[in-house]
Amino acid sequence: MDSGLRKHLNILDYTLLSLWRRRLKNLSILLVFAGVIFLVASFELVTQALTETADRALRNVPEITLQRLSAGRQETVPLTYMERLRGIFGIREIVPRVWGYYFDEVSGANYTVMGMDRRRMPGGKEMDLALARGDMPDPEERGAAVIGQGVETVLRQKGGSLLSLFRPDLSQVSFEIAGVFAPATDILTSDLIVLHPEDARDLFRIPSGMATDLLVYVANADEVSTIARKIATLLPDTRVLTRTQIRKTYQVVFGWRSGFASVCLLTALTAFVIFAWDKASGLSPEERREISVLKILGWETADILAIRFWEGLLVAGLAFVLGCTAAYVHVVFYDASLFRPVLVGWSVIRPDLRLLPTPELANFLLIFCGSVLPYLAATVIPAWRSASVPAETALSGM
Amino acid sequence: MTGIPAPYRLRPLHFLLMLFCAIAFVHAALVLHARSARARQTQDAAIRDTVTSNLGLTDLGVATEARYTRHPAVSDPMAPFMDHPGAIEHFPTGSFWAWPGPSGDREGR
Repeated sequence: MDSGLRKHLNILDYTLLSLWRRRLKNLSILLVFAGVIFLVASFELVTQALTETADRALRNVPEITLQRLSAGRQETVPLTYMERLRGIFGIREIVPRVWGYYFDEVSGANYTVMGMDRRRMPGGKEMDLALARGDMPDPEERGAAVIGQGVETVLRQKGGSLLSLFRPDLSQVSFEIAGVFAPATDILTSDLIVLHPEDARDLFRIPSGMATDLLVYVANADEVSTIARKIATLLPDTRVLTRTQIRKTYQVVFGWRSGFASVCLLTALTAFVIFAWDKASGLSPEERREISVLKILGWETADILAIRFWEGLLVAGLAFVLGCTAAYVHVVFYDASLFRPVLVGWSVIRPDLRLLPTPELANFLLIFCGSVLPYLAATVIPAWRSASVPAETALSGM
Repeated sequence: MTGIPAPYRLRPLHFLLMLFCAIAFVHAALVLHARSARARQTQDAAIRDTVTSNLGLTDLGVATEARYTRHPAVSDPMAPFMDHPGAIEHFPTGSFWAWPGPSGDREGR
């Protein structure tokens, strides 16, 4: 075996024994360090998984969504706007949609109630494929609802077979459950109740000539932006959202600029500063004595630096691997349960997220550079300062 | 230990190698799991596409407590005092979801 390699293997042996001698201290550093990396890596993986899910799930959102704004708030859109849009060349279809939120006072759950004429939707018609049970009711059929898994769970807890909701004047209206969305669509449909548009209008008491928003489908995808601009000019009191904008929204809503991310980052930063301060403030008298004895025994400064380097690399590297692995397990197998209280808040309906991040080298490299490298520097520099002092001086000063 | 000939004694380095092997084993298992989960996810994606194209869905239903986290793409932009003057943010999810930014504004303005 090459003598240089053998020397390093022996140094590594010595380093491991040295780490084992101070096992309690090193283990506590390892665990705290791994915990900090776990926190940062978990957040990175959760946001990445959610962004990827949104990117895949929202490929087929309507090309243009048109809303009316009044005093900064969304208001219902008059259906006469559809006639005004007919003059814009390139629009394939305009579908009025009635939707809103329904707060169930008994369970505390918020439902999203939606009604539209599905026959006019240009997408595929195989909605039954997306149902776990039952069938999609006929588009003409009134009084039937298709609900998400979360709504079904709430209904089951309440012990009813009919979906009974209250209009704003507190008169009751009941719907038969025609179907339940498949668990695979939970992240989109968990709180969803799909009704006939007239049923939805009746539930919310929305006048017949109004809709919540208009979905505009365009014949040529390249013209979406031009048509959106034309709509904005023609109807100045509206907000025009394109598919690109909606997808772009989901590229930024899960990121490091949120308040929770700042808390994670600040926690990590504080922990790193404490580590660095502890290390950079110098070696303990015991460590200083060990270095002096090694120098008297004939060890060179480079050998002592190699020991410190290996010590730092083993502790920080293991903490990095353990932290990142635990973060992946936390996100994939436990659906990021530690972050769930913040991620879903007080929501009663909690969808099955099925998070599956794609671990990318760039993300881990960033965490590595922000954690392991500073730790290595903070370990080696004080050791170099101590090792460069003559051994007799170091020992006599004790 | 004294009875074992020197070449067969375990050095500390050997324990480190065993630890690395265990980590590699765990990671290999995670990679295999990720592959099968990815295949399942591809099937799920087709079903989700059907739902979004048929119902015109625009948002993920991760949090249902506030409209700006249930429908961040199509609800009012997140803003301080959005419910009434002096109203402070009190939904926990508001701390996780970042502001969508000016991309949520109207097209062409």
